[in-house]
Amino acid sequence: MHLLADSADFLHQLLALAVLLPLSSFFLILCFPEWMGKAGKNGAFIATGAIGGAAVLSFICLAIWLMNHWPAASSHGDGHEVAHGAAAHGDAEHGDAEHGDAEHGDAEHGDAEHGDDAHGDAEHGDDAHGDAEHGDSHAHAAPHYTGNYYRLGRFGKLDLSISYYIDSLTVCMFCMVCFIATLIHVYAMGYMHDELHDFEDHEVSLADGDHLVRPGRYHRFFQYLSLFCFSMLGLVLAGNVAMVFVFWELVGICSYFLIGFYRERHSASTAANKAFIVNRVGDFGMIIGLMALWSSLGTFAFGNIDEDPEKPVILPAQLAAEIKANETLSAEARKSLDEQGIALPSFVVIRQGSAPDEWLLGEPNAHHQWVVVKAGEELRVKRRTLGIFNQVRREENHRKLEVPDSMVLADAPLNEILGDHASLASENPRLALANSRAEATSPGKIDQWRQQGYGYWLLVVAGVGIFCGCVGKSAQFPLHVWLPDAMEGPTPVSALVHSATMVAAGVYLVGRFFPVFAPEVLLVIASAGCITLFMAATIAITATDIKRVLAYSTVSQLGYMMLALGVGGWLAGLMHLITHAFFKSLLFMCSGSVIHAVHTNEMPEMGGLWKKMPVTAFTMLIGCLAIAGVSVPFVVGFSGYYSKDLILEQAYTLATYEGNNSFLAWVFFAAAAGGAAITAFYMFRMWYMTFAGKPRNQERYDHAHESPLTMYAPLIILSVFAVTVAWGGREGSMRWVELLTGTGIAGAISAWLLLRQRSASDSGEDHDHDTADDHHHANPEWWIWTPAILTGVVFVLGLLWQVPALHSVSLSGLLEQSRPVPLADVQGQWTSLIWPDEHFAHKPANHAKIVIPVTLLATATALAGIGLATVMYCLGWLNPQDVRRSFQSVHTFLLNKWWFDELYQLIWVRPSLWIGRLIARFDKTFIDWVVDGSARVARSFSQFWNYWADQFAVDGLINLIASRTHAIGLALRGVQTGRLRQYVMFIVLGTTVVFILVSFWKSAFAG
Amino acid sequence: MALLGTVTVSHYLAVGAVLFVTGALCMATKRNALGVLMGIELVLNGANLNFVAFGSELLRKDNLGLDGSLMALFVIVLAAGEAAVALAIALNFYNNHMSIDIDQADDLKG
Amino acid sequence: MTLAVDAIAWHQFFFVMFALLTCGFAVGVLFSGNIVRMAFYLVLSLASSAGLFFLAGAEFVGAMQLMIYVGGTLVLLIFGVMLTAQDRFISLKTPAGEWVLSLIIGGTLLALLLAAAFRYEGWQQAELGDTTPTSSQADTTARLGLSLVGVRPDKLDDSPRKAGMSGYLFPFIIVSVHLLVVLVGAAYMARAKKRTTTTAR
Repeated sequence: MHLLADSADFLHQLLALAVLLPLSSFFLILCFPEWMGKAGKNGAFIATGAIGGAAVLSFICLAIWLMNHWPAASSHGDGHEVAHGAAAHGDAEHGDAEHGDAEHGDAEHGDAEHGDDAHGDAEHGDDAHGDAEHGDSHAHAAPHYTGNYYRLGRFGKLDLSISYYIDSLTVCMFCMVCFIATLIHVYAMGYMHDELHDFEDHEVSLADGDHLVRPGRYHRFFQYLSLFCFSMLGLVLAGNVAMVFVFWELVGICSYFLIGFYRERHSASTAANKAFIVNRVGDFGMIIGLMALWSSLGTFAFGNIDEDPEKPVILPAQLAAEIKANETLSAEARKSLDEQGIALPSFVVIRQGSAPDEWLLGEPNAHHQWVVVKAGEELRVKRRTLGIFNQVRREENHRKLEVPDSMVLADAPLNEILGDHASLASENPRLALANSRAEATSPGKIDQWRQQGYGYWLLVVAGVGIFCGCVGKSAQFPLHVWLPDAMEGPTPVSALVHSATMVAAGVYLVGRFFPVFAPEVLLVIASAGCITLFMAATIAITATDIKRVLAYSTVSQLGYMMLALGVGGWLAGLMHLITHAFFKSLLFMCSGSVIHAVHTNEMPEMGGLWKKMPVTAFTMLIGCLAIAGVSVPFVVGFSGYYSKDLILEQAYTLATYEGNNSFLAWVFFAAAAGGAAITAFYMFRMWYMTFAGKPRNQERYDHAHESPLTMYAPLIILSVFAVTVAWGGREGSMRWVELLTGTGIAGAISAWLLLRQRSASDSGEDHDHDTADDHHHANPEWWIWTPAILTGVVFVLGLLWQVPALHSVSLSGLLEQSRPVPLADVQGQWTSLIWPDEHFAHKPANHAKIVIPVTLLATATALAGIGLATVMYCLGWLNPQDVRRSFQSVHTFLLNKWWFDELYQLIWVRPSLWIGRLIARFDKTFIDWVVDGSARVARSFSQFWNYWADQFAVDGLINLIASRTHAIGLALRGVQTGRLRQYVMFIVLGTTVVFILVSFWKSAFAG
Repeated sequence: MALLGTVTVSHYLAVGAVLFVTGALCMATKRNALGVLMGIELVLNGANLNFVAFGSELLRKDNLGLDGSLMALFVIVLAAGEAAVALAIALNFYNNHMSIDIDQADDLKG
Repeated sequence: MTLAVDAIAWHQFFFVMFALLTCGFAVGVLFSGNIVRMAFYLVLSLASSAGLFFLAGAEFVGAMQLMIYVGGTLVLLIFGVMLTAQDRFISLKTPAGEWVLSLIIGGTLLALLLAAAFRYEGWQQAELGDTTPTSSQADTTARLGLSLVGVRPDKLDDSPRKAGMSGYLFPFIIVSVHLLVVLVGAAYMARAKKRTTTTAR
């Protein structure tokens, strides 16, 4: 145990390795395409190996995390067992025990860079999450590890570093992303096999009428996938907002590459552009949010970062004891610290930190604190930079949301800050401001301003800005338009984008930033989510493209998550993110399998396929059941049941919370409940249209076949998770129910498959051969073995849950650890809504009031949706055509996706094009005129210059020299008589003259 | 003879000067190419006389020593070479122009 | 002549005699109009100057003067004279104006040279009263020979660095090659060739 406890120190290294593996795969494939074998086949193995390795590392990290932070039993149940869950405390040995001070040192382990661990704090002793008695008093941050990997640079106040922030959410996301991405990689190896040779794109027609034939881009595809995974993992691991933003953009560019993978298709390239540009709109808001945060808080980091000063400072034990005893800093102690280079402000306050051996020195309100921590046997003084979360929700304030002091100061009117120093201000404003700020830090004054509401809008702007980025990434209204178009990418990409990576990033960031969001921001989030979920769900009803149905389903589900987060259901939203990731990737891969079989996306061309592809049909059915949230109420259900129930419960709680009888809150709840029904309806409509009934296109039906092993094995694995991922963490009887249900479902499917296989092999041997011609057929062995293995795996998992020590291990319990802080009756300045704590619904007193009606309602809506779909599309009692005719206008409206694309075309694209043309005309007429004019002026000037300077002065001079030389030559010509004797005469004469001159010279000057 | 006093370098130089000027005038006035050649010989001889005089140990203590004699020797040898070449030129000229009058050798007149 | 033989300074006597002969015949060369006579006067002038060399103690040079100049070069000249001695070239008349000009210039130059010759004190001091050749000077030939092959016997007591090292071996070789080239060139130019028409202007 001790070793494992120590191993928490390796978490960040392991996770960094997991992030870097896909990156190295990317560079390997990018830089050494010649190693990739024929048609780049090895690229797939490298990429899959890398992400698989990352998955293994992630699960190791999960194990390490569990060993260090054993989750409390989930509050999802009735909550009685939970009371003593020592939630975030200690390791498994102490997990169920009363926490004692003895183990506190355990997690410190000298690694002072771990921010304020949630390890026991004697003063704020009551800490169990979901503890009904203690209500909202728990003031602990979730257990987490922060620190810097590498500082890129420090520019004044701006500290840019590669840092990490690891809590259970991070670990969960890592496991989810890596696991799903691995399966998708495997799946893509089968799906993309067309790219292994020259690829004929049937959707691109060249000028001569032929289809485009291009070399396969198999390894390119995996290269982009690797980069995509790297970006997403980096985003999840990021410990500061700047880094998040970098990976955010990386995710964006990867989605651009992958959506535009068939770049020769016009639709694909425009879809890629659309996704990228729409995301830029959101990112613009995000940048504004970042600026608001940074300019007021002065840091990008999420959590506290402790670091040694330039030279490490060790506090003598005697001095430390003295400080502790006096709770102040004596003059000698200050001198001693001064000598070590630590200049503390004049009014030092010394307080106990959150950990037992931790003491804070310095002003409590500053961005930076000096903190004394115990590192091994030594007491070290470290410089602590307060992270964003800790500034917004201060420890001293029981982590209630408040506007940080620096935000208040940033907003408070200058003359009030200057106060008494106003007279100074005219002489030296900077000095005056410094003085008065120091003075203003006296808590009273700041609190007064805070009460007056200064700085609150900054907090709102920051929150809304961050959310803007998430709106773009997670395709929320009004920026949802890119996601359905993103279906132009290959299906594995859609699966990845829609479950684990891109759209998850937005929800993840909202969840990560949850502590910073003011109630008004939450309201915005909830509204956007609400609109998105309803709108997308309605559009999905009329869509006929199987992938578009799923795309709108994703948008709708993302709306659910945002709504959940917005109404205060942090756990609900993030749990839905994870369960949704499993069943949506399952659904997408199933649809890919179908498309792979029938070579069309249009559901009216399908029908009756379940006979041809039973594995796909049944795994997809499981996916549909999961997304619909089907369950036996209060007993057991598919994973979607648990997360969706939590969302509905929280929405209902918000609507019914004391004095909260707000219309808006009821709209939220109604949209969520109605959305659940619609979701069930369109998912089953899709399933029926695809798999049930009679084939509507016989030719396509005849060519259909089950996908190869690499494609359907991931389906089976995912379907297991789609059912079970939210299980666990309940009372004993429930666990047995889960075990039996899971095994029963798996066994039933297995038995059915076996029976069908036998009948198929009896009757349709030759028929199979026909269809096996153009594609490799699934290995018959696997038809027999996979269901059996499936059953076995489910059974073993179910049995594992029976082990007492594992009782509390569940998705919700794990996520619960990262719950940032309770909302607990938060009320904003500009909204009268009061946000209830998420645990409120689970108090026993509220069980009958909230949980039971909501659960029943949720089940009823789901069943109603399924029933309606069955009636219309399976049994045929209601003719869909008739229904459509009677709702013609609504149908048209929905079929055209609420006219959003047209609306945007009208209000954004056209005006921009118009403005562009206007500017182009301005460019052509005015700027070109100026440029041409200046060119003309320059030309005439140079002509003038050419004539006067060049031709006249320079050429004239040269010609003058030449002609003079010529004339002199002509003149001297006469001397050349050719008469030797005359020359001799000249020589003699010359000599004589020289002699005479020299003589005279000597006599005249040299004496 | 007493008029003359002791024979010194200056006397040799005087004789050399006479030879030099005579030769130079020969070169300037003789129209016959061979006359010009003779003038050259005279000039060279005048110069030689100077070398010998300066190199003589009998005339002056501060003499050139053997250098004077050696230079004179070289001059003699070079004069011989010069005479050979010049004669060849003169004969060539004579062959081509059927004349030895150098006033007619003005083909290169400017 | 009743003067005692001892009273006669033979050295000065011979000097004056040879100087007068040299200058006289040189002037003869200058003023003679006949090329044949000029050649004869030149021989005599050069021979007389050889006598002056002897008087200056440069016996070897004098001998060379006689052998090369008088015996070689002038024979060549006389050959040239004979080869070209047509009547019309025997005596070519120079215009009188040129004579006058030449004499003026030449006289000026001569005056200058003479003035220069007698102006420097150092050149007029006869520090060596005794003009009889000493034994050390008797082997001039051998010393010259040594110098030509690179050893300077008269400068052995120079500074150690230069002792015996200022010989004339290298110029000697150059002059040898030069002579060879000159002779080959002369033979080439003077060779008999088919006479073409008078060279065109």
